[in-house]
Amino acid sequence: MKKEIGSFVVGDSTKCTGCKACEVACFTVHNRKSNHVGNTVGTVTVPVTPRLFLTRFEQGCMPIQCKHCEDAPCLNACSKGAISRIDHQVIVDAEKCIGCKDCMQACPFGAIALLPYAKDGRLVAQPMAEEPKVFASKCDLCAGIEGGPACVKVCPHQALRLVDPEAEREEKNIRAAESLLLTKDWR
Amino acid sequence: MIVAIDQNLCTGCRECAEVCPAYAIVGEQGQPQTIDTDRCVMCGQCVQKCKSYVSILTHGKKAYDRVKKERNIPDSVQEPLFAAYAVCNLDKVKEALADKNKFTIVQCAPAVRVAIAEEFGADLGTLTPGKLSAALHTLGFDRVYDTNFPADVTIMEEGTELVKRVTEGGVLPMFTSCCPAWVKFLENNYPELSDHLSSAKSPQQIGGAIFKTYGAQLEGKTGEDIFSVSVMPCTCKEFESERPEMKDSGFRDVDVAITTRDLAWLIKDMGIDWDALEDQEFDQPLGLYTGAGTIFGVTGGVMEAAIRTGYELVTGQPIPDLEVTAVRGTEGFRTSVIKVGDLDLKVGVVTGLKNVIPVLEAVKNGTLDLHFIEVMTCPEGCVSGGGQPKLLMDTDREAAYANRRAATFAHDRELTYRKSHENPAIKKIYEEFLEEPNSHIAHHLLHTKYCLK
Repeated sequence: MKKEIGSFVVGDSTKCTGCKACEVACFTVHNRKSNHVGNTVGTVTVPVTPRLFLTRFEQGCMPIQCKHCEDAPCLNACSKGAISRIDHQVIVDAEKCIGCKDCMQACPFGAIALLPYAKDGRLVAQPMAEEPKVFASKCDLCAGIEGGPACVKVCPHQALRLVDPEAEREEKNIRAAESLLLTKDWR
Repeated sequence: MIVAIDQNLCTGCRECAEVCPAYAIVGEQGQPQTIDTDRCVMCGQCVQKCKSYVSILTHGKKAYDRVKKERNIPDSVQEPLFAAYAVCNLDKVKEALADKNKFTIVQCAPAVRVAIAEEFGADLGTLTPGKLSAALHTLGFDRVYDTNFPADVTIMEEGTELVKRVTEGGVLPMFTSCCPAWVKFLENNYPELSDHLSSAKSPQQIGGAIFKTYGAQLEGKTGEDIFSVSVMPCTCKEFESERPEMKDSGFRDVDVAITTRDLAWLIKDMGIDWDALEDQEFDQPLGLYTGAGTIFGVTGGVMEAAIRTGYELVTGQPIPDLEVTAVRGTEGFRTSVIKVGDLDLKVGVVTGLKNVIPVLEAVKNGTLDLHFIEVMTCPEGCVSGGGQPKLLMDTDREAAYANRRAATFAHDRELTYRKSHENPAIKKIYEEFLEEPNSHIAHHLLHTKYCLK
């Protein structure tokens, strides 16, 4: 069946230990080409800028990341046209982003952070200020990166999974149908 | 303090506690952890594992520079810093290099040359002995020697000791003593078995002792003039170099031990362009090494090197097949029987310190019938050491270890000499200085008695 709605990654606080391997992996795969990040820590020359955020709360911890909303408030809020929907995923164009925080305000999940923007192994400076340019850092489901979401792959406790909501709905429909069949004799 | 956890950065995930072989990391889940220094063997596996980095979002923009300063890390470093970390002694190295009155000698361990290039963006396990030597020369060390040479000496000393123990009825099984974390673990937990340790010092310490005696003589200097630096894949080597018994020449064998990662920092800090470095040889004579010396970097390597030489010591004949594949592998504990003339030499190899506990229990109970056991603390030997380049993603771990191992064996195959006793520089040092393996002077300088506590 043709995919009609976007996938997303979701964490499980009952499995997560809070190790941040997901954040480091997320940063790594997104900066391999743009910032020459290799396999080891020594190859990194820019601040770690994850696109998902380990979150602590009273009952535990888990990473929070973009749900790739179908009617995405961030996309609707962006006045610079820096956020678009590509192949069902909500994607930020860091070059266009001006750091106005409208998307942060709009996102109901806090899935966007403003973080320093680096290119070619260096922070990119703002034209008229000493501070580095920032960008809206959010999950892009590792679009264009081989092997799919890195966070899911590296989690040592399988506390993250990639959700295909339509496929999961269908699967649940089938399970529901099977259990209804069992109740047939009592109806 | 050699290895520590920063209380302000630790998230309490306890992933480090999973890899700690000494059960030294204590704390509640979700709370910052502390290291029980009485138990810690300083292997640095926690440093390799920790992913809790100094974060702009969690700790603020200024935290990174503050942590860097606290840890005495060169200001030029820009890479992420994590909660679990090892001591950085680069200031001592820089100071010595700048001191015109010091004659600086550096050695680097076998595992460094198969990993350091990773820190400059090369593929995992890229073999670069020539660039490593070139970088150390460019940094200004007066002599760039190599730990592989004293590894060859170790084989002469430890191999002779083993043959004596086997033929003259000494304490068996004999354990290797190259790995300082393993030695510390034995001292902490099984001091009653300390007679089983080989009395030979580790290659690092043998190298240090030789550089300050024979090495100093070669330069027309004394041990006092020499500043001895070692570059190790290991966080525990600094602890070993600080041990009070490691100064038999009258001077500290090794003045400071830095890690592979530290050296990469130093190279960058000094503005050296790694990619542009042209290969250079290690200096002679104490940088001439064999394949046997270089395989010390992988689990089973010390055993294989010892068998290559020990076979000939016992039988007087060269070993039929130089590659002793029976002792290779990566399993936590493996045993084999090697036919050495009329003797069935029963050997064991332990890698990953947790795997040594049942072995030690069996030795205690007298139920383990082996002559010689190699023990390495880190998962696959020194190539996976706590001071090696740290992986950003643990999904690369298997490939990193496999590639570093493969590069080590490739290096062994390409070297002119592959048996320690055939190394011309080894023959020369015994002729000119050490007399013969286990001689009085060798015993004085190159052997020790552990378990002083």
